[in-house]
Amino acid sequence: MNFTLSWLSTFVSVDDITPEQLADKLTMLGLEVEAVTPLYQGIDQIVTAKVLSVGKHPNADRLTLCQVDTGEETVQIVCGAPNVREGLTTALARPGTRLPDGMKIKKAKVRGEQSLGMLCSARELGLSEDHSGIMELDESLAAGIPLTRALELEDTMIEVDLTPNRPDCASVLGIAREVAGFTGQSLRMPVSEAPPLDSDKADFSVTIEDPSLCPRYAARRLTNVTIAPSPWWLQRQLLAVGMRPINNIVDITNFVMLEYGQPLHAFDFTKIREGKIVVRCPKDDETEFETLDGTSRELKPDMLMICDSMGPVAVAGVMGGLHSEVTEGTTEVLLESACFDPVSIRRTARRLNLPSEASYRFERGVDPEISPVAMERAVQLMIELAGATVCEGGVDEYPGRRESLTLNLRPARVCSLLGMELSPRQIGDYLESIGFTVTDNGKEGLEVVVPSFRPDVEREIDLVEEIARLVGYNDIPTTMPLIRMDYPVRDELRELRKEVCSVCTGQGFFEAINYSFVDERHLDRIGLDRDDYRRRLTRLLNPLTEEQAVMRSMLLPGLLENVCRNINYQQPDLRLFEVGKVFFQHGRDEQPEERYQLCAVCTGARYPGAAPIYFSGQQADFFDIKGLVTALVESLHITGKEQALEFVVTKQEQPYVAPATGLSLVDGNNEIARIGQVSDEALRGMGIKQPVYFLECDLQDLGELPRVRKQFVPIPKYPMVKRDIALLVPEQVPAGELLRAVKGQRTELVESVDMFDVYSGKPIESGMKSVALSVTYRSPKKTLDDVTVDKIHEKIVQYLMTEFGGRYREGTE
Amino acid sequence: MESELNRLREEALSALAEITDSTGLEPFRVRYLGRKGGSLTTVMRKLAEVPKEERPRLGALANSVKKEITSLFEKKKQELADARDAGPAVGNLDRSLPGRYLPAGKLHPVTQVMEEICSIFEGLGFAIAEGPDVETDHYNFEALNIPKHHPARDMHDTFYVSDSILLRTHTSPMQARIMENQEPPLRYIAPGKVYRCDSDITHTPMFVQVEGFLVDRQVSFADLKGVLTSFLRRMFSKDLAVRFRPSFFPFTEPSAEVDIGCVICGGKGCRVCKRTGWIEILGSGLIDPEVMKMVGYDPDEYSGFAFGLGVERIAMLKYGIDDIRLYYENDLRFLSQF
Repeated sequence: MNFTLSWLSTFVSVDDITPEQLADKLTMLGLEVEAVTPLYQGIDQIVTAKVLSVGKHPNADRLTLCQVDTGEETVQIVCGAPNVREGLTTALARPGTRLPDGMKIKKAKVRGEQSLGMLCSARELGLSEDHSGIMELDESLAAGIPLTRALELEDTMIEVDLTPNRPDCASVLGIAREVAGFTGQSLRMPVSEAPPLDSDKADFSVTIEDPSLCPRYAARRLTNVTIAPSPWWLQRQLLAVGMRPINNIVDITNFVMLEYGQPLHAFDFTKIREGKIVVRCPKDDETEFETLDGTSRELKPDMLMICDSMGPVAVAGVMGGLHSEVTEGTTEVLLESACFDPVSIRRTARRLNLPSEASYRFERGVDPEISPVAMERAVQLMIELAGATVCEGGVDEYPGRRESLTLNLRPARVCSLLGMELSPRQIGDYLESIGFTVTDNGKEGLEVVVPSFRPDVEREIDLVEEIARLVGYNDIPTTMPLIRMDYPVRDELRELRKEVCSVCTGQGFFEAINYSFVDERHLDRIGLDRDDYRRRLTRLLNPLTEEQAVMRSMLLPGLLENVCRNINYQQPDLRLFEVGKVFFQHGRDEQPEERYQLCAVCTGARYPGAAPIYFSGQQADFFDIKGLVTALVESLHITGKEQALEFVVTKQEQPYVAPATGLSLVDGNNEIARIGQVSDEALRGMGIKQPVYFLECDLQDLGELPRVRKQFVPIPKYPMVKRDIALLVPEQVPAGELLRAVKGQRTELVESVDMFDVYSGKPIESGMKSVALSVTYRSPKKTLDDVTVDKIHEKIVQYLMTEFGGRYREGTE
Repeated sequence: MESELNRLREEALSALAEITDSTGLEPFRVRYLGRKGGSLTTVMRKLAEVPKEERPRLGALANSVKKEITSLFEKKKQELADARDAGPAVGNLDRSLPGRYLPAGKLHPVTQVMEEICSIFEGLGFAIAEGPDVETDHYNFEALNIPKHHPARDMHDTFYVSDSILLRTHTSPMQARIMENQEPPLRYIAPGKVYRCDSDITHTPMFVQVEGFLVDRQVSFADLKGVLTSFLRRMFSKDLAVRFRPSFFPFTEPSAEVDIGCVICGGKGCRVCKRTGWIEILGSGLIDPEVMKMVGYDPDEYSGFAFGLGVERIAMLKYGIDDIRLYYENDLRFLSQF
C-alpha cells in the first residue's frame, strides 16, 4: 500500500511528526514501512519562467527564439513546442540542471542560435504523460520560484508492506485511522452532497442471485458525463503511488479505491442492456468473456460475474469487460460499489491469472459498510471533475447484512498472555483508540464491539493482539519461562549423522549440500536401468526448471556435478561428502519414503590441501575410499548383527561402477555400504575426465547395526614376539584372504596379523606375487620362548602354503 | 708391534672423524675391521709371532684398540643414520618449512550454524525433532490454520507433488505433528530443509529453517521475548540490540517479527539493513488457539510460543556472505573458508 503524506493529511494531521517518525511508528504498529521516498527530488532545480516574446528562428522553421524571464534575468532560449507563446508561464531547466531521465541541460547553440536552458513539458519532468507541449502554469505565478513549490509538490511517498490480515489498511483512510489512534485525533471525512440512495426512484435494477457471494451491491447512475483528463491534483496522487492516470472517471474510481479501500467500477450505462444488473455465475453457454485489456477469458461455472439482461459485462471484483468500458464518448455512467466473497474472488483471480488492485482488496475483505460511503465520495468527485449529474435514487442491495460482532474479553487473560499487568480501563482505552466500542461488565469481562472495517478481528485472541501492538511489543516485559526440568529426548538418527559427519571431516572430506530436487536425466547419464528402484521418483507438478523437477533418489549424481564444477574451477583434488535425504515414491498421492544416506567421493590428489613438499605425487585410489569405510566402522564401533561386518566383492554390480571395482561392506546378506570406482561411461555422462571413487551408504541401515560394547581388557603383562612371513602365491589369490586365513587360525597366541608388502613383477616369476605378513604372538600367561613361537609359526606358514599354493620367496629363510 | 697398534689406532680415529656420510662407512670397515685383510686383523694375526711373555699384554691392547674402533665406528654409523632421519644437520634446520599434517575437511557453513542454533536451544532444554520434507497439505497448511484459498498462502510459493502432497514450505508442520502425539510441557526445535518456488538473488528454492516451540501453562508473550532475546544474544553478541514488532502469521497470535541491530554496520545504516539499522531475523508469536484446538489442547489451559528462523540468513550475517547462491554450489573455495 502506497500513499503520500499530503493525501494522508486530508484525513488526519501529520504536521507534528516527521515522515521518519511516522514510518517508525507505523512499523512498530505492524504496518511495516518498506520505503519513505521524498517525491519530485529529480526536479528540485526546475523553476517557473515567463515567456516575454517569441520570434522566428532564422535557420529552422519549427523552432522559435524566445526571450524568457527567469526571475533573475532575461535569457534567450530556443524552443520547439507548438504551444509556446508570449505571456506563457512555464517550467524552465537552466544550464546545469539534470532532468529526471538523467539528461543534463547545457548552454548550447541550436542551429547557430544561443539557447540558455530548456522549457519543459510535463512528461520531461516526469509529472505526467503529457508531451503535447511545454507546461502551462498558472499565470499568477512569479518567475524564478521552484516548480515543486509553485505546484505544491513537496511531498513524501510512504510504502507499507501489508500483512494479509489488515485489509482495512489497504486504504489511506485505514492508515489515517491508525495514525488518529496514536495521535489522539478524530478523522476528517470528506462530505458528499448526493441525493438519498432510494431504490424506488432508480431507473435501473440490481439482482443478486447468491447473497453469500455478494453481500452488498450499491450503484448510482450519472448522466452528462464529460470524459476528460483529471486535474493535476488528482493525477499527481495517482502518479505518486504508481498508478497511471487514464481519464477523470477511471481516475476517480481508482482514487476512491485507494482512499477508502473500496474497489469501484464504472460501466458505460448505455451498454448495460435493459438497465439490468444481475450478479450471478455464468450460464452453461457463457464460456468466454472479453476483459477490458482486450483478452478473451475462459469462464468457469463458479466464477462470479456482473451481467446485464443478456450476459456478462464484468468479472466481479476482478476486471471489467471491454464492451461496457468507459470510453472517450461515454456520457452516462453506472457506478458500482460492491462487496464480494473473498474466497470466490481469490479463486477467480487465480484461475484467470489476473491479480488486480481490486481483487487484492476483495480477497482480503472489504468493509461492507463502506460501499455506499465510497460510492458517494466518487459521485461527488464526478460531479466536480466530470460535470456529471447524479440521477435521483440509486440501488443499495444489502442481503448480506450482519450484526456487528461483539466479543467478550477477559482482562486477566490479556495480562496472562502478555505477561504484564493492565487494568480493564487501560485495555478499553487502547481498543477505543482504533474504533472498537468497549463496555466494562465487571466480573464478566469487557464487551467489545468490533468495527466492520476489521474483518480480521473475530476472537478474543485477536483483541489480545490489538492490545499488544498498541502497548508496543517493546514495552511488554522480557522474562524467561518457568518450565519443569526434563531431559530432552535425542533423535538417534540425528546423532548418528553428526558422528558420520565428524568421521568424514576427520578423514579430510568436505561436506556438500545439494538441492533435494534434481534433473531426472542424471539417472540416464550414470546409466541407471529403466526399471531400477531408484527410478521410483517423486515428481514436482510445478518445478522451476527441468533441472529441478524430481526429488533425488541418490546422492551420487549431485556430488559428481560438484566434482565437475570444481574441476572447471581448477580444483581437481577433491574429497566431498553429503549426508542427506533421498526419496522413493511408492504410490500415487502419498508421501514418499524418505531415507538418509551418506555419499562420499574422492578424486585427484590423495591429500588435497596437504603440503606438497611432503605429499606430492600421491593420487587418490580405491583404497582411500575403502579407508573411509574402515574409519567409519572403527569410529562408530559398529558390528554386524550376528557376525563381524566384512567386505565382499559386490555381487550385483551397479551400472555406474567400473568393471571389477565394486566392493560391499556386508552384514551377512545385507549390504551396508558400497564403494567402487565410477565407470568411465558415468563419468563421461557427468562431464568428468579423471577417475573418481565413491562410497554410498544408507544411514538408517547403518543406524540399525549394533554398537560394540566398550569393554576393558587388561593390558598384557608379557612381551610379544613378531615373526614375518614372505610367501609367493599365485597372482589371482586375493592377498586379504591370507590375512583372513591367519586370523582364522584357532590359536589364542596369535594376537594380530598385518600385511606389509604385496609385490609382483621382476624378479618374481610371472603369475606369482609376493605377500609379506607380520604376525604378532603373545601369551597372556607367560613370556613366549622361540621354540613355542617357531612351532606355531611354522604351522601357520605350512597351512598358508597348502591352502593357497604358495611357497617361500627365494632369498628369505 | 705396540707402536704399530698405536699408529693404526691414531690413523683409524682420524679416518673415522673425516667420514661425513654413510658412503664412507663401508670402505672404512673393510680397511680397518675387515675379516680378510683389514689392518687390525692383519696386525692381530701377528700376535702369534710375538714372544710368549708379551702376548697377553699385547693381545689385551690389540683387543682394546679393536673394541674402541669398532665401538666408535658403530657410534658414527648411528650418528649418520640419525642425521639422515633428522633431515638437515643439527644447527641447519630450516624451520621455515611447513608443518606436516593431513588437513581435515569441514562441515558446510549451513550445518555449522544449524548445529550452533540447535546446541543453544538444547542448552535451554529443547529437544530436537525432524519431519518429512515431502509433507501433506494438512500438516503444512490446514493444521496451522491456513485453509485453502487463504491469502496467507500467497506468502508460501509452494511446490506441489499432488493436490494434497507438497514440499514443506516451513518446518512448522512439526509443531502440529508433535503436539498431536504428546502432552505439554513441550520444548522442541525442528530443523530441516524447506522449499519455495522462488529463485533470485536473495532466494534459493531450497533453504534450511529451524522451527521451535514451547507449550506449557502460563506461557506469555514476555516469555517469548525472553527466550528469543537470549538466543539471539548467544548467537551474535551479548549486547545485541533486539526489537519485536507486530506481524502476521496464521498460526500465531499475537505474531511478531524479530529484528536485530544490523551486525554489519552496527546500526548506522548500510546496504544489508536497507539503511534502517535493523535486520529481520526471525518470525514468532504465541501459538494460535485454533492450532491448539486442532491438536486437542484446551487453549484456556495451555499457551505457548513458536518461532522460525532461516539458517542461511544467520550464516550470511555471521560470516558476511553476500550471495545466497554460493551455498548450494559446493565450490571448494567456498566450503574451505568456514
